Amino acid sequence: MAAVLCLIGATASLARTGGARTVIYEGVATELAASSEPSSDLWVTLKDLTRATKFVVKPQGVCRDESCFPLPKDRKSQFVMKKGKVTWFNLSEFAKLIKQPTTFDEQNSVWYFGPRPEQQNAFLTSLEAPEFTLPDINGKKHSLSDFRGKKVLLVTWASW
Amino acid sequence: MPGWQKLYSELKSKNFEIISIAEDTGGVKDAGPAITTAKPEYTVLIDDQHLVTRLYDMVNVPTGVWINEQGRIVRPNEVAYVDNRFKGMHGVDAAPYLEAIRDWVDKGDKSTFAISEGEMRARLKPQNPDHSLAAAEFALGEYLYATGRGRDAIPHFKEAQRLNPESWNYKRQAWALSSAEKDYGTTFGQEVKKLNGKPYYTPRTLPNEVKKSDEKKN
Repeated sequence: MAAVLCLIGATASLARTGGARTVIYEGVATELAASSEPSSDLWVTLKDLTRATKFVVKPQGVCRDESCFPLPKDRKSQFVMKKGKVTWFNLSEFAKLIKQPTTFDEQNSVWYFGPRPEQQNAFLTSLEAPEFTLPDINGKKHSLSDFRGKKVLLVTWASW
Repeated sequence: MPGWQKLYSELKSKNFEIISIAEDTGGVKDAGPAITTAKPEYTVLIDDQHLVTRLYDMVNVPTGVWINEQGRIVRPNEVAYVDNRFKGMHGVDAAPYLEAIRDWVDKGDKSTFAISEGEMRARLKPQNPDHSLAAAEFALGEYLYATGRGRDAIPHFKEAQRLNPESWNYKRQAWALSSAEKDYGTTFGQEVKKLNGKPYYTPRTLPNEVKKSDEKKN
């Protein structure tokens, strides 16, 4: 375990130390306070984890709605770290674990987490057209599911 | 838009809706003028995060998807021109597509143009993980652009283009936000040339077209 923590420390020297971070999760941007832990990973407090992603760390795993993702027992310290009174959670390592496409802008400290493959590909089983909610020109939101019971031609265009 | 409005006026009494989606990072600023000029009666939505591009794995505009009354896809992504304004460039005739839509609106799932569940399962593929990552890169770039950091967005747009070179949405949109030549070292014309005649959209394979090309051969 100590060796693992050392490794984290070693990569940290290559990375920036804390500053405010932005996390974009399911298209929603959340500003997070700086981390006291210099690291190339994204360590967040448990409170920030829930604020940005709605995930909660429980004994059985990292949970949201109906689903829980157990943390690998032998690698727990790579995900959860207690420092003084604060418990930190490694959100970027968790994204790797659940195979979320993740990108990062170093200059602006912005992290982007895309949907898990099983979310992206859910419609391959159901054949149901992926749901979305988008605004019209007046800002009024419309969902695809509002149109159930009708035949719908979905067609894209662009100004470019 | 006038073409779609004409089709909508013709078919709207038959339980048929058009949802037209602008894939525009600039949102209302960029997509708005076309909407206020055309004032279509059908639903027009603005997708400034290219969400529909990602959800449906689309590679260009215009792309059409048919969705039945139960919300099931009965024709997946295919090029969806409503008229022949740009036929000189891409060579796709709009008429067979409009004919196909009319047939589907009349006959529903029994239309020869509506694809069965079995065939649909065979056609649809899980998203390529590189394309999922490309979508994330592009969306991160869009966030930086939307928050006034357009220059910082460019490396992410480039990375999205590298990870998903088939996506013309990622190319054309990024070029439109700055300068294709200065920032990306290319132009639309140059990129199309590189394809050597391969399509830069999702091709259509309509039963009424297959028949016509067979006729020509005979």
